Amino acid sequence: MRAYAASRLEGSIPRWCGFRAILVALAALALLVSASGASRADDLDQIRSRGTLIIGSDATYPPFELFKDDKYEGFDIDLGNEIGKELGVRTEWVNVAWDGIFAALKGGKFDLVMSDVVLTPPRMKEMAFSEPYFLSGQAIARRKGDTSVSKPEDLLTKRVGVQIETTGQAAVKKLGVPDDRIIKYNTMQLALLDVRNGRDDAAVGDIPALKAMILKGYPELEVAGPVFKHEHYGVVMRLGEPRLLAAVNEALDRIMADGRYARIYRKWIGEPLPAGSIDELHRIRAEGTSMGAASKTGSAFSIRWDVLGKTVPLMARGARMTLLLTLLTLVFGTPLGLIFALMRLSSVRPLRWLSIVYVEVVRGTPMLILIFVVYYVMPAVHISLPQFQSAVIALSLNAAAYISEILRAGIESIDSGQMEAARALGMDYRAAMRWVILPQTIRRVLPPMTNEGVALLKDSSLVSLIGMTELARVGSEQAAETGSPITIYLGVALFYLAMTLPLTYAVHLLERRYQPVSRPGRPTPAAAPAGPVKEIAG
Amino acid sequence: MAQTESPQPILSIRRLKKHFGHIEVLHAIDLDVQEGEVVAIIGASGSGKSTLLRCVNWLESPTDGEICFRGTLVSAANATTVRREIGMVFQRFNLFPHLSAVDNITLAPQRVLGQSGKESLTAALELLERVHLSDKAYSFPGELSGGQQQRLAIARALAMRPSLMLFDEPTSALDPELVGEVLEVMRSLAQEGRTMLVATHEMGFARDVADRVIFLEAGGIVEQGPPEQVLVNPRQERTREFLARVLDR
Repeated sequence: MRAYAASRLEGSIPRWCGFRAILVALAALALLVSASGASRADDLDQIRSRGTLIIGSDATYPPFELFKDDKYEGFDIDLGNEIGKELGVRTEWVNVAWDGIFAALKGGKFDLVMSDVVLTPPRMKEMAFSEPYFLSGQAIARRKGDTSVSKPEDLLTKRVGVQIETTGQAAVKKLGVPDDRIIKYNTMQLALLDVRNGRDDAAVGDIPALKAMILKGYPELEVAGPVFKHEHYGVVMRLGEPRLLAAVNEALDRIMADGRYARIYRKWIGEPLPAGSIDELHRIRAEGTSMGAASKTGSAFSIRWDVLGKTVPLMARGARMTLLLTLLTLVFGTPLGLIFALMRLSSVRPLRWLSIVYVEVVRGTPMLILIFVVYYVMPAVHISLPQFQSAVIALSLNAAAYISEILRAGIESIDSGQMEAARALGMDYRAAMRWVILPQTIRRVLPPMTNEGVALLKDSSLVSLIGMTELARVGSEQAAETGSPITIYLGVALFYLAMTLPLTYAVHLLERRYQPVSRPGRPTPAAAPAGPVKEIAG
Repeated sequence: MAQTESPQPILSIRRLKKHFGHIEVLHAIDLDVQEGEVVAIIGASGSGKSTLLRCVNWLESPTDGEICFRGTLVSAANATTVRREIGMVFQRFNLFPHLSAVDNITLAPQRVLGQSGKESLTAALELLERVHLSDKAYSFPGELSGGQQQRLAIARALAMRPSLMLFDEPTSALDPELVGEVLEVMRSLAQEGRTMLVATHEMGFARDVADRVIFLEAGGIVEQGPPEQVLVNPRQERTREFLARVLDR
């Protein structure tokens, strides 16, 4: 089923979706190890002593949370900041992909999760929830006027898009829609896009989010009928923290009682609290505001230059991060790879085996697992690194395995007579490697190393799992924020090309410079006068 | 230069054995080389000529036996040091393709002996003149003919000022018309009194230049002596057969 969805969507779904089961297992492992560790101080005491409440959120989900112009904003953000004030501390937000958010909470990366998390019995077994702070529910989005999708029962014969691992997915499954017609997307935006494109008939998601997204970027869509499954959102924290739970509940009570909640509701939901026929009013207003340019252009594939222009600076920042990650990975991964390559070629058997095991394990497992282990599992053994360091370490460890194989093959491709000639001249192994073998290896491995560099540039997008805001992540955030994923992803693709093409070209020039026969910049036989060579060289 | 019994040979090989797996390539070779002596080793392909040379500078570690070089017992521990004084010229040249002719020559003196760039360069240019390659100082090996490459390889080996030169079939990979220029350089080295151990198929070179010829077959020395004896009037039937085969071609 998952394979079907993936092949159906091709590029739309990141390739790591298939490894979800393994991630869950790893998260469980992390939890197990941390549970067996020494008991820590009470969370509430920790928050107060450090003066900061750290809240994790997948900020791609307006109107609840969105990372925009370098700031977090949305219903949850305002509410979370108020909770922080009630606890008497500053609030700090951490942006994490939905996939990893609960694992990160359990790993101690933050104190609370506020990411329109729906209270469900299975979740409540794993984590503690505050009192509900928002009444919501699942609703259906359809193409405007498509009356064949009007009530939940209609979905049974349709193709339905959902955001992966959400209560929307569960609700559709519970309705009885067969698995092969539930299309799971990485973000709600992508699900709506495919409804607009006609690939799916309907999408199911949280009503406030659906409305906000349709209002912003999908004038061809509308919400069909009322909520068909009521849900409540809660603030999530780790189990076994009664004092923090009580403090959050008290804070929520006060925020709701003194009118702050109503103001936040009005600000982000766009309606007074409570409202009568909220849904209907909202839908009409939505139609009124975005009828303009978007519906006139009509095509789902129209490029919105205004959007592109506004997001280019953000993309440039993301691209800079991607480039930085790639360069650091090469800087750390290449020497490490060389060490593993030399170990592999060593005559000392344990070194050889160590290298083989390392390379095979790292190459044989998805990089995502390595990132996950470094960021989410290492804290269980009290090695907790920030996102950036974790990302560089995971990428470097991964790249080292591939680079070591490239270098090993390169070294082995050098004729054995070269090493013999160097040794016969009295050089020791190190000198022969340094002055004879490696200089020739470098020339030979330039093409495969370029491939590795380009692959790294793109693979570095995997670190968005741990909330690194690199180019790909900027893309998904902006796709959500602007409601123009096609425009945004086109921009993202161009940025990637702008990085890979110069790299490939630079290496091409280098390769020509390193033609083994001759090098420019030195007198060639034709240019050098035959006699007074001494004068030139001296 | 003649074969006088000096008490201290520069190279002394005793009961040298070399196995590759179960195959015994050399069995119990005994050989003394005197300072200034030119020794030619002849024999069919696979007779162990190359292996014998490669054992001398420990590119192959002997299975059994002793090699003494200038009174020092050669072992894995001191092989790197000993090699500084033993130059080697390979059948396939093994020049460093990423370095110019001059850099090929100066690399080891700089990196092993710690010579300055200027010192090693002056020496390199002199050596290039000796092997008639002055005009190719900044050429890369890929730009040189086979004969030029081998002459450069000889210059590279000489740059370490070795007291023994090993030549492992130095002309076997060359086109016939390029053999002469390499042999001419080797002949001039012999004339200035260098100690040389030469594995070769060039019977003419062995006859004209060598002080002693050794005939190797199946990993053992069959016959040795002055060239006029071994090459013209061999005592052993096997030597005669080998020469008949070689000279027939």
